[in-house]
Amino acid sequence: MTSSTSSSRGIYLRVLVAIALGMGASLGLVRLFTFVGGASAETILPEVTEARAALPRIVAEEKDVVLAFGSSMTDAAFGARQFDREMAAQGVEVKSFNFGFGGLNPYFQDYLARRVREAFDEADRRLSLAIVEFTPLQNTKTRYRRALPLVDSYVAMLASDAEIGELVLREPTVGIQTANVRYLRNGISAEMLTWFFGSEVLFPAEQPNSGLPRDEEAERTLEELGPELDRRFDEDYPDYVESAWSWEWQGAGTIPEERSPETLALFEQYYAALRNDRRMADDRLWRIHSADVENLDFEEELLAAFVRIVKTFQAFSDRVAIVVMPRNHAWIGRTPEGEARMRAALHRIREETGATVYDFEDTPRITPEMFADTTHLARYSGDVAYTSLLVEAFAPLFSR
Amino acid sequence: MIFNTPIFFLFFVVFLTLYGLVVLSRRPRILLIVVSSLVFYGAWNYRFIPLLVGSAAADYFIAQAIGATADRRARKAWVTLSIAINLGVLALFKYADFALQSVADLVSAFGVEPDLPTLAWVLPVGISFYTFQSLSYTIDVYRGTLEPRRGLMEFVAAVSFFPQLVAGPILRARQILPQMHAIPVPTWGDAKHGFVLVTAGVFKKTLADLLAAPAAKAFDSAETVSVLETWTGVVAFAGQIYGDFAGYTDMAIGIALLLGFRIPANFHLPYFAVSPVDFWRRWHISLSSWLRDYLYISLGGNRTGSRTRNVLITMLLGGLWHGAAWTFVAWGAFHGLLITASHGLSRIGALSAFHGGRSRGIALLKWAATFYLVLVGWVLFRATSLDGAGAVLARMHGLGALAEPGGQAVTVLVLTVVSLLVMQLMDLFVIKKGAWLEGKAWLLWPFLIFFQGLCLLFGEPSDDFIYFQF
Repeated sequence: MTSSTSSSRGIYLRVLVAIALGMGASLGLVRLFTFVGGASAETILPEVTEARAALPRIVAEEKDVVLAFGSSMTDAAFGARQFDREMAAQGVEVKSFNFGFGGLNPYFQDYLARRVREAFDEADRRLSLAIVEFTPLQNTKTRYRRALPLVDSYVAMLASDAEIGELVLREPTVGIQTANVRYLRNGISAEMLTWFFGSEVLFPAEQPNSGLPRDEEAERTLEELGPELDRRFDEDYPDYVESAWSWEWQGAGTIPEERSPETLALFEQYYAALRNDRRMADDRLWRIHSADVENLDFEEELLAAFVRIVKTFQAFSDRVAIVVMPRNHAWIGRTPEGEARMRAALHRIREETGATVYDFEDTPRITPEMFADTTHLARYSGDVAYTSLLVEAFAPLFSR
Repeated sequence: MIFNTPIFFLFFVVFLTLYGLVVLSRRPRILLIVVSSLVFYGAWNYRFIPLLVGSAAADYFIAQAIGATADRRARKAWVTLSIAINLGVLALFKYADFALQSVADLVSAFGVEPDLPTLAWVLPVGISFYTFQSLSYTIDVYRGTLEPRRGLMEFVAAVSFFPQLVAGPILRARQILPQMHAIPVPTWGDAKHGFVLVTAGVFKKTLADLLAAPAAKAFDSAETVSVLETWTGVVAFAGQIYGDFAGYTDMAIGIALLLGFRIPANFHLPYFAVSPVDFWRRWHISLSSWLRDYLYISLGGNRTGSRTRNVLITMLLGGLWHGAAWTFVAWGAFHGLLITASHGLSRIGALSAFHGGRSRGIALLKWAATFYLVLVGWVLFRATSLDGAGAVLARMHGLGALAEPGGQAVTVLVLTVVSLLVMQLMDLFVIKKGAWLEGKAWLLWPFLIFFQGLCLLFGEPSDDFIYFQF
């Protein structure tokens, strides 16, 4: 080796060491920032993390297991304990769980469905019934675009190591980026941080305003009743505090019989105040703006992901049903094009999965007074009626 | 492959390890540069690799042919062939659909609906950059300012050299070929400067990506916006295009420097320009000097009587180089008119005090007027149609704008202006104090780590560079 070759090697080695140390230190800063800020999968998707952690216990259940899998609309509307009770009254013993999570479109839900399947497969267990919610507003192009800043983080949090490995081989740029987010950044991508801290400034005029006057009395009622209802919950369910077993998706507290008449009356007042015209009109505009809820211009990637979700459940479930949740007809309309697209999407889903679609969109049993806003059902009224509808629809499946 | 992504980081670390520690002799290193550059390019679309290699090889052999003959007609025929091949490829991929659509629009204006085909071909990334770079070689050989060089591999390595392949700077053959022949080794000082430039580039690119949202609000929003938000959007785009392109350039120069190669600067504080002519001396210097040397001078340059025409043709084609759309043509024409007007005004004796004035007030006035005109130009550049550009220009001046800005409008404006200023000040710092910083190790490394950490924390690192599409 000549001295010039040796010195050339020396300089490049020095450059490589500087790159490694510099990048290591910079990533250390990122980890420090996210650690101090408390950003992690546990804080960003707490319910999902909790549900995944609970899967070993779920698959160990003695009774047949039922999962209601979907969006925040399922989260709000499916009363697991009520479902189990009413099913038992019909002679069907099951243990159900609410796997409804806000903020996950089908692209992300697809990963979660695979994690659920893995847990059942590992335990050599089958799911008795999967109730999979098709949420039209979660499948639109608008919704898809809005979720793009979250893709790297959510996939990094929800994908398995093997899936990330496959992604690296299939799409190296995306795969290496995802692996970087998962293994070096604790699941937190730069896009997610930017979106989290900067959306107020970067997308400042995104909250559409109906221009209706603020209902001062309703707002006062909400301010007064909110803390009061929280206090009563803590009183009624002291065991919930510090519990990792989330009451919401287990369904505790969602059965009217477990609450006092006074508390139920307060809830009624609370939801009535929530449904004031200004809030509902603003909420409708927000759903149009953020999810194209009336025109439903569907994103192919999301519809394909939904089909994959159903197929994933079909692979380890005895029964798979697709449900379309009740629509708040007083506030959410649909354009003729939107209606045609909805019918076409449901037809495609039926064709590609062979699953039955239970369409509750127009059920007369759910009225606009049973909603908390333009899309979510209210607790102790809407959820009760909807859960009963599910029992009526699915109990007969178990006797066949 | 985008510089500020994990995959490029891995690519570069692997390349540098092989280049610096394993492959030590000259010819294998050149081969490594070629192979790695093609892998880098192929990451976008491997099907265009033959186009890149083919056009470079054609220019290499044409230059050999030019060098081999003293016959002026033969030399001219060879260089014409080179121009035809390079511009033909460019025309086919980049301008064919634009031309067909323009013909269709023209004919339909007379009430006839023509049924013209469209190619709808994917535009090869960086085609405008590498064809110009390759073309400069044959023209230089034709003009006798450069001897044809032996070694096809060396030439392909120079044209495809990955740091500058897809978005420049447009290197002249005489700048890169001797380096490719010598295979330089960086000093530790070069490396430190390279790290500073890469960090400055990543930082500018991060800010540019953050400015995309307010720019899009002014240009792409289906709803109309206020005067304030329109100005914010236009200033944001000025920052976005600068941060994006100058950021890419800084990274390219810095990465090349880490390998030992020197690439000349492509920007010099363009928003500090005090006239349109001054702006073009500071903005995309490698393109403006290419157009000057190979187009403007070929047209006759400053010869009396044809200067205005030559400026206008050069700027018009410079605009068209950026993209196949009338908005780019209008942008080029606008800057051509500005430069022509500047030349005209400079000849008016009554304005000599203004032109030659050195007072701060006059300088400020000249800067403000230039910046305003540059912003107007950016509206033409960014808008997706001439109608759209007209609407944004009207809103900037109060016509058709919303009376009340949306929430956070003032905050966004302040952040936008601060971002633009920070980018320029960072450049000023690197120019004026870069050497000083590089001499203080205790300050240099924390400085670089802090800014790299900041860029890793925020931004949209998967966003393409705007100039890739040109």
